[in-house]
Amino acid sequence: MGSTNSTLSKIPNVEELMRETGFSPAHIVRLYDRFESLDKEKTGHLRPEDFGAINRLAMNPIGDRIIGAFFSSGQDTVDFHSFVRILAHFRPAENNRPRDPSLPEPVNSRISKLKFAFQLYDLDKDGKISRAELLQVLRSMMEMQVTEEQLESIADRTIQEADLDRDDAISFEEFRKVPLGDTLTLTQQRVASK
Amino acid sequence: MERLLRRGFMERGFLLLVVLMFLEGTVFPLGAASSPDISAPDGAGGHERNDDHRGIDNYTFPKKAFPVLSLDYGHIQMPFEISLWVLLASLMKLGFHLIPRLSGIVPESCLLIVVGLLVGGLIKLAGEEVPPVLDSKLFFLCLLPPIILDAGYFLPIRPFMENIGTILMFAVIGTLWNAFFVGGLLFAVCQIEGTHLSQVELLPCLLFGSIISAVDPVAVLAVFEEIHINELLHILVFGESLLNDAVTVVLYHLFEEYSGAGEVTLMDAFLGVICFLIVSLGGVAVGAIYGILAAFTSRFTSHTRVIEPLFVFVYSYMAYLSAEMFHLSGIMALIACGAVTRPYVEANISHKSHTTIKYFLKMWSSVSETLIFIFLGVATVAGPHAWNWTFVSVTVILCLVSRVIGVVGLTFIINKFRIVKLTTKDQFIVAYGGLRGAIAFSLGYLLDKDHFPMRTMFLTAIITEIFFTVFVQGMTIKPLVDLLAVKKKQEAKRSINEEIHTQFLDHLLTGIEDICGHYGHHHWKDKLNRFNKKYIKKCLIAGERYKEPQLIAFYHKMEFKQAIELVESGGGVKMPAAMPLQVSMQNIQPKKQPPMAADRALPQFTKNREEEIRKILRSNLQKTRQRLRSYNRHTLVADPYEDGWSEYMLKKQRMIELEKKMTQMSNYLTVPAAPSDSPTMRRARLASDPNAFYTIKAPPGNVPTIQVELASPQSPDSVNLVDEFSKKGGSSQKNTDDRKEEQGRMMKPPSNKNPGLLRCLSDPGPSNEDEEDEPFLP
Repeated sequence: MGSTNSTLSKIPNVEELMRETGFSPAHIVRLYDRFESLDKEKTGHLRPEDFGAINRLAMNPIGDRIIGAFFSSGQDTVDFHSFVRILAHFRPAENNRPRDPSLPEPVNSRISKLKFAFQLYDLDKDGKISRAELLQVLRSMMEMQVTEEQLESIADRTIQEADLDRDDAISFEEFRKVPLGDTLTLTQQRVASK
Repeated sequence: MERLLRRGFMERGFLLLVVLMFLEGTVFPLGAASSPDISAPDGAGGHERNDDHRGIDNYTFPKKAFPVLSLDYGHIQMPFEISLWVLLASLMKLGFHLIPRLSGIVPESCLLIVVGLLVGGLIKLAGEEVPPVLDSKLFFLCLLPPIILDAGYFLPIRPFMENIGTILMFAVIGTLWNAFFVGGLLFAVCQIEGTHLSQVELLPCLLFGSIISAVDPVAVLAVFEEIHINELLHILVFGESLLNDAVTVVLYHLFEEYSGAGEVTLMDAFLGVICFLIVSLGGVAVGAIYGILAAFTSRFTSHTRVIEPLFVFVYSYMAYLSAEMFHLSGIMALIACGAVTRPYVEANISHKSHTTIKYFLKMWSSVSETLIFIFLGVATVAGPHAWNWTFVSVTVILCLVSRVIGVVGLTFIINKFRIVKLTTKDQFIVAYGGLRGAIAFSLGYLLDKDHFPMRTMFLTAIITEIFFTVFVQGMTIKPLVDLLAVKKKQEAKRSINEEIHTQFLDHLLTGIEDICGHYGHHHWKDKLNRFNKKYIKKCLIAGERYKEPQLIAFYHKMEFKQAIELVESGGGVKMPAAMPLQVSMQNIQPKKQPPMAADRALPQFTKNREEEIRKILRSNLQKTRQRLRSYNRHTLVADPYEDGWSEYMLKKQRMIELEKKMTQMSNYLTVPAAPSDSPTMRRARLASDPNAFYTIKAPPGNVPTIQVELASPQSPDSVNLVDEFSKKGGSSQKNTDDRKEEQGRMMKPPSNKNPGLLRCLSDPGPSNEDEEDEPFLP
């Protein structure tokens, strides 16, 4: 673990980071290695092009949105701390521990993950997924054979089904109600576990 | 409908009858032979005997009439018999697939063994001596190499390498554990009074243990084929069966050597370890050398395309033989040769040679596998057998027990180092799928009768163990897997929201996973790749093709396929610019179901519409990389893990989105505008403002303001675009410009639908100019 410690000492404010995100030192070191390998020019910051270089991410239909989520506050670079904070959303949740309701919502709880996903839908950040935004998402996820008209009817149907207060958009509360089952928990193990 | 069924049934019955008659007819000549072994000169002896009866006696009676028609069986006996066996094997394979229900219940390997038993029985009944068909020489030199080469050539490298640690653990330590556990306990049992086995010493027992503990690749392949497990498990068990060959060879030779001497010292054990390293690494090295030779040779074959496949086969076979010559692990040599050869050879050879290699390998390995199982059956009948209840039953039980303990124990240790852990269900499949096969039998057959008086007993036990694993485990593994499988939620009742959002989240998580990357493998794999690209590819791949040639040919192939699919499905929607959206309406008609009463209080959507939407969703949502996709060795699909595939998918995506844009563009009245700046200016402007595509919020001020230059669809630029698109692999920069302008004109909220196009700027792929000059592979 000697190398772990030496890498840890390179990162500023690493204890605070660990406390905030709940990652273990080994995880932080791994993420740091990954950060460094993505940061080809060694500037200490990542830019959108660095993410773009990940081939498989390019294939992902919502890859660009995911990249955008890293740069959400209008900056065009992301440093290691922000990188880790965003990835912390996907650390496996400890569901069994009884949570103290007075503490703030842990960053990797189910609700936080859903909120993160919701933000990826809701690009203009008005707190609702409008019909146009949904249409965009559908367009990027569907393959070639689906026509525009079919997409529009799917979008209409989706909103109709989920929209309870009839404002022709899906708010976060309505989004939460969709029973998404085990999707969120199943695959997280691949991400952050050893 | 019934008539059709009956007719089909009668046809099948007829074919089966023909096959059975053929079987009968072939038994006699086969029985008449003494051995199909290549090196044995006994065939000549039999031939002479037959000669006397056949009356080819021109020499004694020179005045006899000239024989117009004569029978000379001995002349062609050997090749005739070989061909008969091969034909028999192939007909059997055909026959099984005609009986629908049987092939579902019983795995093919079992049926083939039964056929072998029948043939052997028939031969014995006919009073002839059963030929020793599973002679070790024939088996190891002729029957085994095609299967291993096929496996090695089509080995999915990436999953194999990702799991190499696990595989090696199972192969080396697992096999060692099995061998010593089984051998040792067997010896202990033999020492018990009353079993009449006390003459069996320790070393022969250990030798027996090492023979029987090796998982057999042929049997594993044959059975796993049918149960469609996921790729990870397949590669684990299969990889283990391949790599344990080195361990088996070393143990076998070690114990065989020293059984005469009666004891193995520590020095010998140490030498054994050294031997193991040499055997395995040496085998791999030999294979790699031959592989590189083959790749290098293929660099020069551009003028003699016809013999290209031959090089691959011959070099691989020579690698196998060379390794066997030094008593190195021939199997590992073959695997290494196939795996090393493939990427370079495929870049050099023509498309047709590539297909030829694929098909020949699949054909040979298929026939080989069938023959091996039939021969197992025949050899069982041939005997000689020495049945000993204790020995045999203890062997079978011990093998199963040691396998389970070994797998569980090793998994416990391995899981500490794995990212994707092996679940209990996985462990069960790995343990239960450890089948023994013909390799064990041949190794037993090789034993010297004089040194090992209990050889027949060993052989009987080996055969029983093989039968047990293939029949019992092979037949029951499928129902057990189904039983243990996690039941999926009923898809039909999911709401549309669920489907969309679940898919979205799946993409999201996959994306995050990709960002995090695979730890540990990253650095050296990158370095290896770079080394590969810089030096090796230059040497071994002809001409300028090492850039990214197969991508283009690949893309063409895919395009053809897609075009054919489109035509066949009758829904050719995407004809740009000419066909407006009316064509797309036709797509909706066939999907409509007879109208049913709407049962929900949703005004606009009737139930059939909802069904239609669901159907569209299900079939069209892009699937993320499915880790649980079943793996089938016999399908000749493109390896989706190849780098070319992902590049292809990327380009396909761009093409899709461009085509969507094109159809939309066709709806608008186009004002023929003056031709705009040269493409280079546009490219320059684009290159200088890459960030435009990455602003998610996109305040109105950032809308690309290049509205002045409007290129109508009929303008020469866009027409070229479409043509280029159908011909080449996608001209990236020109698309982007058109799209940007088009966005401005339609005044939609700027959506960064396709920053994928922009990624090409950072993507080190071939640029436009290069693509035009690139020669297409013939």
